[in-house]
Amino acid sequence: MTPTAVRPAADGIRASGLLEVPAFWVVTALLAVGAGRMAQVAGRFVEAYPKATVTAVVLFALLAVPFWVVVSELDFLEREPTELLVVAFAWGAVVATSVSIPASAALEDLIAKLWSPHLAADWGAALAGPAVEEIAKTLGVVAIVLIARAQVNSVLDGVVYGAMVGLGFQIVENIVFAVGNVALAGQGDHLQPVIETFLLRGFLSGVWSHTLFSALAGAGIGYLVLHRDRTAGHRIGVAALAVLGAWASHMLWNSPLLSDGLGNGPLALLGVLLLKGLPPLLLILWLVRHVHDREADFYVGQLATLRDPELITAGELAVLGSGARRAAARRHAGAQAGRRARIAVRRLQRAQARLAVELSRGRDGTTGHRADEIRRQRDLMVLLGHADGVAGPRSWQHTAWTVLSTVVAIAVLWVALSALGGA
Amino acid sequence: MARTTRRQLTNLLGALGVVATLAALAFGLPAVDRALPNDRAVSAMDPYLVGAAVTVIPPPGATLDVSETRPGDDQGTVLFHLGSVRYAIAVRPFAGDLENAATRLRQRITSTSGYQVTGGQLAVNTAAGLAGIQGGYTAPGRGGRYAVFVTGGLTIEVTISGGELDLGRALPLIDRSTRTLRHDGRQQ
Repeated sequence: MTPTAVRPAADGIRASGLLEVPAFWVVTALLAVGAGRMAQVAGRFVEAYPKATVTAVVLFALLAVPFWVVVSELDFLEREPTELLVVAFAWGAVVATSVSIPASAALEDLIAKLWSPHLAADWGAALAGPAVEEIAKTLGVVAIVLIARAQVNSVLDGVVYGAMVGLGFQIVENIVFAVGNVALAGQGDHLQPVIETFLLRGFLSGVWSHTLFSALAGAGIGYLVLHRDRTAGHRIGVAALAVLGAWASHMLWNSPLLSDGLGNGPLALLGVLLLKGLPPLLLILWLVRHVHDREADFYVGQLATLRDPELITAGELAVLGSGARRAAARRHAGAQAGRRARIAVRRLQRAQARLAVELSRGRDGTTGHRADEIRRQRDLMVLLGHADGVAGPRSWQHTAWTVLSTVVAIAVLWVALSALGGA
Repeated sequence: MARTTRRQLTNLLGALGVVATLAALAFGLPAVDRALPNDRAVSAMDPYLVGAAVTVIPPPGATLDVSETRPGDDQGTVLFHLGSVRYAIAVRPFAGDLENAATRLRQRITSTSGYQVTGGQLAVNTAAGLAGIQGGYTAPGRGGRYAVFVTGGLTIEVTISGGELDLGRALPLIDRSTRTLRHDGRQQ
């Protein structure tokens, strides 16, 4: 039997329904306590280093925007409710951080006391941080499950909520590090340590950080919730393995291994970043791709049962399951029939995704406002002379844009590496 | 009044499990940490590695506080206790000169509420030839001394604090210890 890829939710979340869930109140209380504790930390920062604190908050908040967009777009077909994404982000930002700060310090002290200060100095960050932080962040996904179990209905949902928890944690942790470095520099309210922290922790290490680790742990929780056809032992084992994987990736990243193994210079620094960050990044990207494709197959399969080219054509079925192919279809529409056609295809794709979710919930797909929206966009596309939202051949402009973006990204990376002492 | 369903009870137990785990991390680990002693005996005969190949011979009768001691390859900290007196040494990579290092340390001291730098600064030298600057500061109910050295791309910051009476007794021993600071490494 093929394991279930998606367990459709009965419906979206309702505020009145949440109020009857005990975990909602417990999580709300935890968020309030966490926010209070982190507000105290922020208050001390603002009092001592107002300019540096505000700069750090602005820079890292801006950095959070592209991460948020990418993570929330991961599950294009069955979008997670914004309220739950905000709860996940807030858990990482205020609950997981406020727990991790004292707990990591205590665990590192225990390593120094039970083994030696040398071990704590070399391996403390690699052993204590991941052990505490991965547990605290994973509990955020568990909290989402407790609040709205029906919304975690695929492994990909677990990935999305895990990544959001990790993103919240990553942003606040980076702000704390940035202001901590300002204090350590002992030059007053200076911005240079904030910029350096932003380049190093936000830019160079941002990709393979908490967002990634927690996505892996979230996938485990998603599997645990979804695969009720498996034994409890199997599901718990898979979830534990995923959390262990997140811990191991985090530990490898924090470890002193290769800290001075490749010499000096930007290439050496890049080499260390890639050797320590790339294996977990590739593993997790492969996993995300796998669970994304399985979920996409499920929802596209729902639409295929309609056999109604007015609602979805064969070409659009081939496009809808992949973010790259959806984007290619929008570009193709823009190139063939202008901006309005491009927007119409985007709206068509969104409406088709929503219809697929409705169908998975056992509703009639041929009537109702989702189908009406699709027909509206289809009529507009016909009017604009682009009736089918299919992907076209790759244009030279797109290829040139991709090459140019890659060159700019490499140049920026090189400048950042050189500025951080790689040269 | 609405009855509590079995589903709600299970949900509440799950949520309390989350709270218990968080509490174990946030309060349990620090409690276990506090329950174990920080201080270890340390030899006053042998050089102790502070970090980044910087060593110091601890004062006689001092104990090592392992919770604030982290001897790393390119930086490090050590904290000794002599009764109630704290004797801390921190080694970090540093690109500036001695004046800059002293200014930086003074700013860090005075950034703590109630801490003030007192008097002027004096030159200080170690037996291994490290040249530094030393001075004093006060904190509520405590007195303090600081010294700073720059060598081989590193700054070595020494801070000593304690009650005035204890500090007066411990300072000669600590001064002798500070003069044993040595950097045996290459340029960082």
